[in-house]
Amino acid sequence: MSDQPRHLNEGDVIAAAPYLLDAAAAEAYGASVKEPARRRSKNIHSDPQAAAEAGFAKPIAAGEQTIAVMMQLIADRCGEVFYRGGRFEVALIKPVLYGDTLAARARVERIANGFAELSMRVENQRGEAVLTGTARAPLAER
Amino acid sequence: MIADDGEARLEMRAENLHEGTRLGPIFYIVSGEQISAFACAIGSKNPLYAGAGAIAPPTMRLLDYALLITKHFKGGKGGVHAKHWCEYHAPMRAGQAVRVDGVMTDAAHKRGKFYFTLEYETRDAATGELLTRQAITSVLLNDKGRMA
Repeated sequence: MSDQPRHLNEGDVIAAAPYLLDAAAAEAYGASVKEPARRRSKNIHSDPQAAAEAGFAKPIAAGEQTIAVMMQLIADRCGEVFYRGGRFEVALIKPVLYGDTLAARARVERIANGFAELSMRVENQRGEAVLTGTARAPLAER
Repeated sequence: MIADDGEARLEMRAENLHEGTRLGPIFYIVSGEQISAFACAIGSKNPLYAGAGAIAPPTMRLLDYALLITKHFKGGKGGVHAKHWCEYHAPMRAGQAVRVDGVMTDAAHKRGKFYFTLEYETRDAATGELLTRQAITSVLLNDKGRMA
């Protein structure tokens, strides 16, 4: 980890260590974002019936936590420069169930105009994509 | 902190969500303790998130959209996060006072579901410097808790 930008080249693939999103990880994440408290005591993240009504087999993890896992990989690799001109866009395409292990990776698709353009993907332990997206990271302080 | 607007808040239902509706502002101080806890929860040991002058991890305040919604709406069955984008203009630092404002940029039935997009930006509360702009697109659950 570094607060300095690291060199990125087209074709580079960066990957995060597997992240087990189990109940304990969800609790730690929830405690760290304690505001706002969930507005409903029974919701799709905690209640089997609420999850079933929404069409899910079981309660699902908050999408924000999957986004956090993905973007932490990018920010940790790029350093503080990411916070001045970086951007991302993601789609949550499949629910994450508690106990899933997430593998986040990104590929540098293009270097242009002082930015690295990346494709991003998070897969579960079955190799199914749960998040896809793109990011743009400055290569130097702007 | 969320202002208690009591019964003045609207029910979080499709008919009450409209493009152009402004939400906020909300204000808070970026917490160094939250930075540490969030980085730990997400498994990052990046030194940027430690000590004096720590900066907030990139998605630590992503949930500010929910603060905006909770200030203006009550009830409802919640939603399912579908898409998100964010652009970073300057780091958010521990101890910094910030202001968050939002606007509904889309609210409509599409493909049998009701989607809404809330765009929100965070600025330094004292200087007005833009820190982040982002948007969430979510599927609103109906009164029966269904996406349809």
